[in-house]
Amino acid sequence: MTTASSVLRRVAVRWRADPLDVGIVLVVLAVIVAGALTTRFFSLANGRAILASSAWVGITAIGATVVMIAGSAVSLAVSQTATVAAMIFLETQQFGLPAAIILTVASGVAITALQGAVIGFWTANPIVLTIAAGFAIDGVAIWISGGTTVYPRNAAFGSLNDTPAGLPLAVFVLLVLAVAFQWFLRRTTAGRQMYLLGENPAAARAAGLPVGRVTVIAWALFGGCIALTGIFLAAFNTSANSSLGGTLSLDVIAAVLVGGTAIGGGKGSALRTLGGAVLIAAISDLLLLRGFSTGIQLLVKGILVLMVVIAIHVRSNRRRR
Amino acid sequence: MIRRVASRPEVLVPAVALCVMLIAFLCTPLMNGRALTSFDIFNTFQGLAQLGLLTLGLGLTMIAGEFDLSVVGSYALGGMIAVRAGQSSPVLGVLAAVAAGAGIGAVQGGLIARLRIPSLVVTLGTYIALLGLTSAMSGGLDVTYNNTSATLWLDQPIAVIFSTPSLVALAAFAVAAVILGGTRLGRDIRAVGGDRRASRVAGVRVDRTLVGLFTASGTLAALGGALFSYSYATANPNPGFQPLILSAVGCLVAGVSLAGGRGLPAGLLAGALSVALLGQIDAITAIPDYVTELLYAALLGVIVAIDAPGLRRGLDRLRARGRTVATQTTEQGTHA
Repeated sequence: MTTASSVLRRVAVRWRADPLDVGIVLVVLAVIVAGALTTRFFSLANGRAILASSAWVGITAIGATVVMIAGSAVSLAVSQTATVAAMIFLETQQFGLPAAIILTVASGVAITALQGAVIGFWTANPIVLTIAAGFAIDGVAIWISGGTTVYPRNAAFGSLNDTPAGLPLAVFVLLVLAVAFQWFLRRTTAGRQMYLLGENPAAARAAGLPVGRVTVIAWALFGGCIALTGIFLAAFNTSANSSLGGTLSLDVIAAVLVGGTAIGGGKGSALRTLGGAVLIAAISDLLLLRGFSTGIQLLVKGILVLMVVIAIHVRSNRRRR
Repeated sequence: MIRRVASRPEVLVPAVALCVMLIAFLCTPLMNGRALTSFDIFNTFQGLAQLGLLTLGLGLTMIAGEFDLSVVGSYALGGMIAVRAGQSSPVLGVLAAVAAGAGIGAVQGGLIARLRIPSLVVTLGTYIALLGLTSAMSGGLDVTYNNTSATLWLDQPIAVIFSTPSLVALAAFAVAAVILGGTRLGRDIRAVGGDRRASRVAGVRVDRTLVGLFTASGTLAALGGALFSYSYATANPNPGFQPLILSAVGCLVAGVSLAGGRGLPAGLLAGALSVALLGQIDAITAIPDYVTELLYAALLGVIVAIDAPGLRRGLDRLRARGRTVATQTTEQGTHA
């Protein structure tokens, strides 16, 4: 009896120590209850729709998680990079699908890793640098494309729009990436170094960590993820113009933050980001099914981001005491 | 003297940028063969009126080491509220917008100061929520402002080159300059941005200063949005991310560092004016958009380089190596 109550108390103490988890559980419960009261929310088709709508943002958000964990905060050049990746992908269709994918991912990695190098080796401010990079990428893209919409000469990408098991291919890519990045972050030296670097850059530098190289690796992985999102965007829209990326930059940050990754670095996980992306998609879907406008969907998304951010900081403030 | 100015980026960077933009502006007749008129100057100040208040609001938070992304949200919401509430009485609309902006700013400032949450994430959440709220208020559509007499009155030229919105913007910069330059509050703001822990220990009321700053940035942004939608006779529920990016460029051109503690309202004015001039140069010469974008990229590239401690360390190391090589060669020379 005493052991049972002490176990209970310990559970209760642990529970109280984590307002973030309490908050997330409450939000998920609220979604489940509201979903149960909404016709067609708990149907296979709707589940697929939720996963499908989280895939594009989710893929890039997984990469953004790594960068945020490594302490580089955020990139404001994501939309532009994804747009350029989509254009490159469509322009290289004549070389066949594998070559087009490789070329696109390679250019995404190159563009983004270059920014990572400036941040890692020169300790440039990521926000200023990525605003500059966004202008540069967009400017060069419009210069080369002449500001017109890019259409592929032949469409080798048809198979990317396949839906095995009723789910878009992008969903499978998202799931595989989430698991792979989780493994990378937890189990590899480079991954562990990213947590250390984000937690305390000065200590990481003092400990002789290759700060520049670790930062470049994080940004290179991010660039690969952005390029993949660009590829799926291109395949879905079958053309690309300079506004294709839309609000991707901010959607990605929202998904990473809702997943509980700390903006200051050092904490976070790829699987939680996957959860964040799916949760945002599920809530938007629920509001849509209940007939709320896109405005209300945005409003709720913003409030969700605020709540999670507050919960994270209430938790870390309490730990500090 | 020159060396002292050169070592202060918050003076040097905006001065150089403004001079370059002014020269480029004065050279536009060479490109299109049409002489500049007072109307071009009027339009430049109209551009300043559009972005100036946003730049000032964002810049003030940046001087204190924070970053208020939500200014575009307050800007959109302010425009929408002003148009909604001010159909019959424009002043009432502006007051409602300003009150909403101040309230939102105060709540955010409270969260950021009390819970010590990084302002970037709080204001990102607020930005998304405010865009949603604005869009929900209008059903996602543009709302027309039917009070034509107010619109006409607002954009009447005053003293040939000014209008009410541009004078409001200039007045706001003047007030900010007086507060930052001559009051204890100004010193507190800079101290909070420079070293927060030290200023707390030294007795600066950090929390109150932050709440005040975010209230100011929300107010300025909402006021800017209200005046903008009156002068365009529409409220747009989603102005996009571009106004924020342009005002951030204005702040960075002003030599304000994201690390905080550095920047002057006069510099912010020069930064906002540079962005407005570039916009007007675009309009006059019809140079393609991508050229402007590449110009912005180059400009920010220079600022990144100025502000990157790692790059500076690297250059110092190079210079030191060059010096040792030079002394070695002179020593060898004397020996020979």
